[in-house]
Parts: sequence; C-alpha cells; structure tokens
Amino acid sequence: MKVTFPHMGNAWIVIQTLFESLNVEVVVPPTNSKRTLQLGTRLSPESACLPLKLNLGNYIEAVNEGADTIVITGGIGPCRFGYYGEMERQILRDAGYAYDVVTLEPPDGSLLGLAGRIRYLAGSKNSWVKILKALRFAYLKSVELDRVEDLIHSARPRLPDPRETEKLYEDAKIRIAQTMTEIGVKDTVRWVQESIRERQSGLNPIERFYKPLRIGIIGEIYTILDPYTSVGIEEELGRLGVEVDRSIYLSGWVGNHVFQGLAPGYRSIKSYPGHAKPYLPHFVGGHGQETVGAAVKFAQEGFDGIIQIFPLSCMPEIVAASVLPKVQKAYKVPIMTLIVDEHTGHAGMQTRLEAFVDLLERANSELGFEQNRGDVLSVGGR
Amino acid sequence: MKIGFPRALFYFDYFPFWAGFFYSLGIEVVTSPPTHRQIMEQGLKKASDETCLPLKLLAGHIQALKEVDAIFLPRIVSVEADTYSCPKFLGIPESLLPAVPSGIPVLTVTLNWRKGKRQVLKDLQVFGLQLGKGKTDIRKAFTLGQEWQKRYQDSSGAGWDFEESVREIESVPKGLKNSQNCTVPHHDTNHLRIALVGHSYLTHEPYANLNLIGRLRKKAEVELVQHVKQEEVDNHLLGLRKKLFWNLAKQIFGAGNKFVTDPKIDGIIYLSCFGCGTDSMVQELLARFAREQHKPYMMITLDEHSGEAGLVTRLEAFLDMVERRKVREGYVSAHGERLDCDSNTL
Repeated sequence: MKVTFPHMGNAWIVIQTLFESLNVEVVVPPTNSKRTLQLGTRLSPESACLPLKLNLGNYIEAVNEGADTIVITGGIGPCRFGYYGEMERQILRDAGYAYDVVTLEPPDGSLLGLAGRIRYLAGSKNSWVKILKALRFAYLKSVELDRVEDLIHSARPRLPDPRETEKLYEDAKIRIAQTMTEIGVKDTVRWVQESIRERQSGLNPIERFYKPLRIGIIGEIYTILDPYTSVGIEEELGRLGVEVDRSIYLSGWVGNHVFQGLAPGYRSIKSYPGHAKPYLPHFVGGHGQETVGAAVKFAQEGFDGIIQIFPLSCMPEIVAASVLPKVQKAYKVPIMTLIVDEHTGHAGMQTRLEAFVDLLERANSELGFEQNRGDVLSVGGR
Repeated sequence: MKIGFPRALFYFDYFPFWAGFFYSLGIEVVTSPPTHRQIMEQGLKKASDETCLPLKLLAGHIQALKEVDAIFLPRIVSVEADTYSCPKFLGIPESLLPAVPSGIPVLTVTLNWRKGKRQVLKDLQVFGLQLGKGKTDIRKAFTLGQEWQKRYQDSSGAGWDFEESVREIESVPKGLKNSQNCTVPHHDTNHLRIALVGHSYLTHEPYANLNLIGRLRKKAEVELVQHVKQEEVDNHLLGLRKKLFWNLAKQIFGAGNKFVTDPKIDGIIYLSCFGCGTDSMVQELLARFAREQHKPYMMITLDEHSGEAGLVTRLEAFLDMVERRKVREGYVSAHGERLDCDSNTL
C-alpha cells in the first residue's frame, strides 16, 4: 500500500511526517501547478469548486509514483468538502484509476469505524500508543510550521531582498520536513528567528522601524492556505511592503477539524464565532462564520485592510461575503473580495492587489481623508 | 397582524407548514405575487452578485412585499435528522437584510430538526414570545402546521399539481376540506414520460425556468422528484458509500436514481442553476449513473440570463431524440462517446 493525499499549502509536511513515523509508504504528489489543475479540471464536474479540481490533479500526478490509496478528511456538511471523498472515488474509478479512498472521519458517527480506518492505514504493526505519539508529533510540527510562516509574514515587508526571504522560508520548510525530533523542529524555528534578526541588524534605523501596512487575509481555508490557489497573494503583498496576517493557520484547522477542538493549534479559531455574532449569529458550514468573525477581529485590532478569498461558487463564503459589507461599514475598514477559479490569472490578481494597497496607503498618508465608496460607486449609476 | 411571506426558495417546500402555523395563531399571511420581470430585476440589484438565482429571486420577492407588518424569513438549518439544508439557507436572514425595505422588521426563527422535535418546539416557543403568543398556542399551531405539511406531501402523488395545492392552502379560511378531488390522469403508454429532476424552487418557478413544466407537458407526461415517495427515495440511496448530508439533495438523488432504473421513464432532465453547490455534486453522481444505465439525460443550467430560444431548441432536440428512441426501440445514447458502441438505429 502506498498512501497519497491532496495538497493544501504546507499540509504535506505534516501528513508526510505522520505516515513516515508509522512506517507507512507515502507519496507526496508534485506541488500544485498548472498541470495539476489541467489534469484535475478534465475529470471534474464543471461547477465543482476549485479544491476538488486540484485534488484530482494531485491524485493523477501521484499515480506515476505508484500511489494506490488516497487519504482525505471528511465532514458532515453542509460544506461540499465533506462529500469530496465519495465524489473523488467515483470519478477516479470511472476514469480508470485503481485508487482506494479512505476518508478519515467517524462513519455515521461511529468512532469505532474511524479507529478501524486508522488501523487499516497504519497496518497491524503499529500500536495505538505509537499512532498517538505520531499524531502528537505531526501536530507539533504543524504548530511550529505555522510559527515559521508567521515570522516570514512579518519579515517580508521589513527585509530588503525579497528573494532572500523566500529562500529562507523554503529552507526552513525543508528543514522542518526532514527533521524527526522535537528539538530539531524547535531549532529550525530558532534558526529562522536568528536569520531574520541578523538581516534586520544590517538595516539603517529608518528602515528598521518602518511600520508597514497591515492586511488581514480571510476566506475559504484551502484558498488561503495554498499559495498556488491564491496566486501567491501573501508573497505578493509582502513584496508590496504589506504585513499579512491570516484568519486560519494549518494547525488551528487541524486542532479544530481533526482533533475536534481538543488542541488549540498555533492560532485557535475558537474565538471567531463569538466575534461574528452581531453579524452572522449562526454557523453556515465550512468557515463562513469564522470568516466574518476574523474580519471583525482584524478590524478591531486596527488592520488597514482586509481581503477575502474564496473559490468560485463556495457556498459558505458567499454567505459571509454578503454579510461583510456591514462589517466594513461598522469599522470603516476596506474589505476586498477576490474569487479564484481555474481561469484566474496572475496579472489580474496583481493589478487588483496593487490598486488595493495604493488605496490603503493614500488613506494612511492623508490624515483626515476618508475613503468614501459611495461616491465612487455612484459614478457607475448605482 | 400581517406577516409577509416571500414566494421563493423555502416557500415551495415548506409553505404549508408555515401557513398552518400562522393560521392557527390567527395571523394573516400575505405572500408576494408570482415572479415577474420587476421582481427579478429588483432581486438582482439587491442580492450579492455571487449568490445563486433562487436567492436573487428571494431578494426580489422580499421587496415585493408591500403593506405588511413584518417579513418572515426563517433560518431552516435542517428538516430531518443527520442532514442540513444548503449553507445559503443557513445564512438567511443575515445575507438578505440589504434587500429588506427600510422600516419593515424581519421575523426569524431557527428550525433545526437535527436536535430533535423538542428543540424545534422550544425555538418556536421563543419565537412565539415575539408574536405575543403563549406556549400552548404555539404547540397547537405547530401540530396544525405539521398536519398541513403532511397533507400537502401526501397529496403530491399522482395527479398532483403544485399550483393547485398551493392555491388551496393560500385560500386559507376555506381550510383544507376538499383536497381529495384531484383526478388521477390516465397514463397512456404510448406517451413520452419525462422525469424533471431538480430543486422545487427551480422546477416550480415558471418565470425563472421559462415555464419548463408547461412546455414539457405539451409533449409528454412529466414526473417530478416531489412525487416520489420517501421510502422509494431511501431505497435508492443505498448504493452510496457515504450518506448525502443535504436533505434536498438526498431527495433529488434518490428520486433521480429511481427514475434512471424505472423502465417507464423515457428520459431525464436535470434542472439546476448556476453556482448551485449541492447540484454540482449530485448532478455529477446522477449523470454518471444515467450514463451507465443508458438513460437519456440532459442537464439545464439556469441563471438570470437564460434565453428562451436556447432552452426551446435544446428541449425539442432532446424530446425528439427520446421519442425516436422509444418508437424504434433503439439505443440512442445519452452521451456522445457511446454513440457508436451501443446504438443500432443510427
């Protein structure tokens, strides 16, 4: 049995670690690329959301390396993602790929069923203690990985050479992926911190105390975690001199979705529903309510702008998007919504980001100048 | 007190319950007029761009409710155990507040059958306090609402007509006395039988679907998802490894599967709308099954720009194909790539 799984940003590092520490053969599919999307789109239903198309592309690319079993998490709705496992199984079967799909979820709420599925994947040689230890270590890695990502977020606008910063990030990821001890993981984080400090010390005082614009990124989890899907929005904003923060980090999602809230993750997503209450008091599936809550939280923390990203036709995010104008009005914080699908181009995204950042910078530099969307829109006859 | 009930989305499935509920409480329910051009236009203006056609129509119908004391927009989270409604149902009323005319309050109640009948009743009783009604009143109203809903669903067998049933419920004071007079139409075996599969708020919305049922009825007998009995739906869901978790999708897929295996059905038309999340999955599953069983199958996607000529052309072509297949008993495939391998008439 060779296990493979769909990509979602840095998740591959964590999943690879989990299976390798259980001595299960694992195939990491090639990272998301144009080819992945093309392969996936060919098989997918036309109106399915973007993550499904990329997932299928990942599986097809993993076939070349001998993968025969897919592991994916599930859910009980109402977001479509919960049904991905069964959908992908049927699509791959009909397309002639001999894949076995294991959905990691309690089938019909039965924890025993979930245990059976884990046992099936882990084989008979691993004891439950070992499985739990592996899970704990993988989780720890995801937390530290998020810490590194957050460091990079604040380093991007402050360090002079963007290429160097990206290289530092890539190196750190590789180091974390390879190390199999807790100390090794922690050391990598320390190494990243020191490298950033070192580079910062070479700057002149004006540059060193530069206060960048801050933009909060919210939206559908796959799109905000996966840089290919969001057309590298975080890197792009970093290069434009913006410090980025994100509503959901990988470990926060793992803690909430996989461990059912038993582990908080690097940044817990528990507080978001409370923040969302005045605008959206009920959960709407996926992370719709979290999106609204995160927008409120970012606004309260004084972020200069907020960007929401989601794949075309994502149901929970559409609900969130129709509520966000109220948040924008209440806190006077500009919110931009970006929708991605398989036709999203880099240049279009870049233009919109530059325009948005320009707008925020102008509001910042001209004190007392208040952005008035109404005036702009009235030109369009609304 | 007059409560406005928009004639869109949840209206098509759950109106009888609410009609009975408010009737028992002595509250007058006013529905918006059937969709017309202006309602659609108003809806497009006020609803969010990304959302689907039924929600845009709902936004239009909300604005069409004039001279009411309040607008009723329930949050229907779930109508049976282990399922949800579409996420967009869960976001009502917040996502539609921009469409509500200023000055008219919105009444809402959360309906969640996942937590059982007791919770539903409790939520309704909290809602009743807003209306100034006591607990016993609400319990009575709840029972009557369920009775009406059941009656409506039971009557949706053969010979049932949506417009007719609803007209009956809307003329409330007369009550539901003579609902048994519907005649069972004579089934002519030579006649084409087409199954129209899709959400009730699309299939029963003649303005949005360009009177699809009416057009079909001219040429064929039409079977609807809503006619299929619950037990049959459940029986046809067993082939799935994982249960569907949307109640409407379950009904559509179960009934759709029944139509695919039913030899009396000559063809299936799936009516969906652009951006429908649940349909994007269920439609694919059903299309796969139909292809496997060589059942003629066509998918129609509606949006606010649907043109009549395009629809009519596709419909005629589909019906011609199905008819030819029926008359010559040949195998005209439902899918291009199978044209040569299974067909003996072409």
